[in-house]
This record gives sequence, structure tokens and C-alpha cells, in this order.
Amino acid sequence: MTIYVLRKLAFFVGAVLVASLAIFLLIRGAGGNVAAIVLGKDATADAINALAHTYGLDRPLPVQYVDWIMNMLSGDLGQSFRTKESVADLVTDRLSVSVPLALSGLLLGLIIAIPVGTYAARNVGRPSGALLALLSQIGVAVPVFWAGILLSVLFGVRLGWLPTGGWTDWTADPVGAVRSLVLPVLSLGLIMAAVLIRYIRSAVLDVMNQDYVRTARAVGMTRTQALLQVGLRNALLPIVTIVGLQIAELIGGTVIIEMVFSLPGLSRMILANVAAREVIVVQSTVMLIIVFVIFVNFVVDLLYGILDPRIRNSA
Amino acid sequence: MSTIAPTARPIRPKRRLQLNASLVVGVALTIGFLVIAIVSFFWLPSNPNIPVIKDRLLPPGTAGHLLGTDVLGRDVIAQLMVGSRTSILVGAGGASIALILGTITGLAAAAYGKIADELISRGADIMLSIPGMVTALVLAATMGSGALTTILALSAFFTPSFTRVIRSAALSVLQEDFITAARLYGRGKLFILARHVLPNIAGVMIVQFTLYFAAGILTEAGLSYLGVGVTRPQISWGMMLNEAQQQVGISSPLAVWPGLAIVFVVLGLNLLGDGLRDVLDPKLKRRTA
Repeated sequence: MTIYVLRKLAFFVGAVLVASLAIFLLIRGAGGNVAAIVLGKDATADAINALAHTYGLDRPLPVQYVDWIMNMLSGDLGQSFRTKESVADLVTDRLSVSVPLALSGLLLGLIIAIPVGTYAARNVGRPSGALLALLSQIGVAVPVFWAGILLSVLFGVRLGWLPTGGWTDWTADPVGAVRSLVLPVLSLGLIMAAVLIRYIRSAVLDVMNQDYVRTARAVGMTRTQALLQVGLRNALLPIVTIVGLQIAELIGGTVIIEMVFSLPGLSRMILANVAAREVIVVQSTVMLIIVFVIFVNFVVDLLYGILDPRIRNSA
Repeated sequence: MSTIAPTARPIRPKRRLQLNASLVVGVALTIGFLVIAIVSFFWLPSNPNIPVIKDRLLPPGTAGHLLGTDVLGRDVIAQLMVGSRTSILVGAGGASIALILGTITGLAAAAYGKIADELISRGADIMLSIPGMVTALVLAATMGSGALTTILALSAFFTPSFTRVIRSAALSVLQEDFITAARLYGRGKLFILARHVLPNIAGVMIVQFTLYFAAGILTEAGLSYLGVGVTRPQISWGMMLNEAQQQVGISSPLAVWPGLAIVFVVLGLNLLGDGLRDVLDPKLKRRTA
């Protein structure tokens, strides 16, 4: 197990380094003279040089890269050129919207997909199983933002039950905050569920055809008992992997849903700062998101090793 | 030989019937989509980019504008038709580049030794763990939005999945006896890959391409909805949904048609991909990639 963990840890560090290099080059390579753009057309050359010097933007790119990484490691994510706010504060503010949205969306997706996927697997070849397969096939084809639009037409405009967009802060009005999140979470969760159902269905199908389930049935367990007592642990493996792989999808969905419902989450902050050429803010925020995704995948790999001895011993 | 072959294949009538249904519907939807895109080059109800203010916001069913017009009086059907071109250009463009790069890297990983395999596979793993949408936002904003940027972004995110799938398909072909025979015959590595491996993994490649064509259409619509995808005079279904929401309001019928178009086309391609997988590669289990 130790070797397995070390291997996965090495991969985690390598992935973070490669990703950070890619992000840095992508943003800084295409960014032009950052200080000149931030200050606008009327800025004098002196002012541009002064700003560049203050933030160390006049140093060679490799030096800036190493400096950025070192600062991030020590917890300093940098600050905005204009408002002088620290990136850490900016991000923390936005997380109170984005994290509950993404997590509840994923949770709702799983709550729907696990029972429905299992049911679809147990009813393969029957009309109910085929209907569920068809529904999830259609759900996969629905763009998450269109689902958001349709749901807010139904529950926001026609029925008037929930707001179609906007946000009230948790501290000011907790109930209002929850109400603003219901439709976004529902859109995200339903689309996640459609994707997950297909994976869970095939994971359960795989398990149901294994010898150990047949053995369990032979010693007198019912189909449900065999599935729950013997099959579940084995079906968990692929499900855990899928959830790990879906994290990147989940974040993409969250980005779009925040725009549909005009929620002041991370994605709106990134878009606004991209437009304002706040390169430090953008590069640190995007890096944080990517590190988070890679970290989740690292945890999933570890879970995988814990759940299945064959994997940790073969690695 | 020919007398043995038919009995070697197990007959499962019920399963075959199901597969064909998804293939037939998939082919029908996909052909419809392609035909509409082709027709749009020769005939359009009206110019989808020229405002006709007297005709603004006509309801669906108006004579001459079957699905109505938008806030500037531009015909919805004409816009949808031109939008289908963007979906094909960006979706198929992104998937094609990913297919080419994925085939090169996947075959290299499978056939050129442990070090190449380890480097390519770990590289693909890393790229797969980077959330595409967030990076595409940044890419579009720094490089400028447009069809080309979107195609490049899509191909970058899709390539690692192609690499993985093609690598594992090639690995299993490379273990076959006829590969050993070709090698003993003195054939070089490149010849074997081109002459023996590629034809045997063509099915996997076609299926992968179809599914990622669909994924590309979904992603392009999302980026254009966010305003960082294609821009006018090009038209995208995602862009139309954004315009409907910003300019008229979500309860307008204008926010329905482009969404329906996306669902039909993506559903068609996904069904086609699943159907093809079952027909072309019966050994492979039916599973979402």
C-alpha cells in the first residue's frame, strides 16, 4: 500500500507541475504587455514600467513562474492590480456560491442515478429498463444551460415558485440563498444524473453477471440480498472512478449554470478578471480549480486502492 | 472455412433487435442534420444576419417565418440552418484533430516500448484531469474567441481520451498471431501498424469520433452561450440561446428551438456511436466511454 500511495503522490505532484506550466504559458504567453494593458492607453511609459517593476512583471518569464509557484506554495496567491484585494479573499467570497452549487449538484446526481441505474440494470430487456435507458440517453444530449433555461421557465416564470436568477447572500438571507440555488442545483443534478445512470447501469450489470453473485444466489440469498451484500462493494469501484472522472465535467457545468442564473460564483469572477487583464488573479484562480480537480482524482485513486487489494498490489 | 464461420457466432436475436433500433434512429437523425447543413449552402429562407426591423419578434407560425423571428427580425429557421454548419465545423473539426493526434500518440504508446508508453499515458492522464471548460474560457479570452480557437480547445481536451482508447485497442491487436506472422515475415513496425493494426482498430476509431463529434457540439454550444465561442456573422445554436435569454427573456419561444436542435443532433450522434459500437465491435461490451 505504501508504494501504491507514493506512486499516486508522485503522479499528483507531476500533474500539478505540468498543469501549472501549461496555465502560466497559456495566460502569460498570449497576454502581451500586461502592465500596459492594465493601465490603459493614456499611461506614460514611466508609469507602465513602474507598475511592471512593482509586480515583478519585467523579470524573465521563468523567474516569474518559479516565483509564482513558490508564493502559491507558501499560501500567497497574489493580489489584484487595480483593487489590491488578495486573490485568496476574492476566491473565498465566491466559494460560498460555487461550492454549495457544485457539491449539491453532484450529490443530487448520485441520489438519482444510483437507484435508477440499479433499477435499469435489473430490468434489462424489459420495457421499464429500456425506457430508462432511452431517457438517460436523451438527458445526456441536453445541454446543461438549456436545462437551466427550461426549468426556470417552468418553476420561475410559469409557476412563480422560485427566482429565475440572482443571488442573496447567505448572511443576509439564508432562505433566499437556498431558494436561489434550488433551480441551478436541479439543472446540474439532473444532467449529471443522466450521465451517471449509464455508467452505474453498466457497472451493476457487470457485477450481476459475476460468479460470486451466482454463488450467493445458490446459497439461498434473494437477488436483492446478493446484490446488496456481495455486489455492492464490487460495483462501488467503477462508480468511485466515474465520480472522479466527472469532477472536471461537474466544474464545467457549474461554470455555465452560474452564468444562466447570474450567480456571483467563481466563473463570473474569472470572466470579469480575464476581461480586465488581471493576469495574476486569473492564473491563480484557474490553478486553484485545477489543483482541486487533480486532488480529487488523487483521493479517488487512493480509495480505489483501499477498496480493491488487487489494484494496490499490482501497482 | 465458410461452413464453420456461421456456427462460430452465437445468435442472440433479442439483443440484435435493440442495437438496430439505436443505429437506425441515429443514422436518420444524423443524415437529417447533415442534409440541413448542406442545403443551407444553396438555399436559405432569408439572410440570417440582416436585420428586418418591421418583422421583429414575429411569433412562430407566421407566413414566411415558420418558427418566427428574433429581436432584430432575423428568421429563426435560417439561423438554425446556418447554425448547423458551425456545429459540424467545430464538432467534427475538434474531433478530427483529436482523432489524428490520438492515433499517432496511441499507436506510439502501444508499439514503441515501455518508456514511450509511460510518458504518453501519464501525459494523457494529466491532461484528462484538467477541467476543459475553465481552460477553454481562459484560452478564448486570451487568444480571442472564434471558431478556430474553439476547435483548438476542443481538440486539446479530446486528444487524451482518443490516445487512451486507441492505445488499448492497438495493444490487443498487437498480441494477435497474425502480427507475429507479419513480424517473422520481416515487415517493419510502421508497415505493421499501417497495414495490420489500423484496419483492425478502425471500428473503435469511428465510434470514438462519432461520440466526440457529439461532445464537441455540446461544448461549442456551451462556449458560445457564454459568449466566448463563435461570433457573428457565424451563427451558433448556443449563441442563439444566449441572445434569446439576454434580449427577449427565457420564456420566449426563441429559447426553445436552438435547444431542441442541439438535443436532436447530439442524441442522433450518440445513438449512432452506440449502435456502431455494437455492430463494428461485438467483442466490446456496451458501455459509455
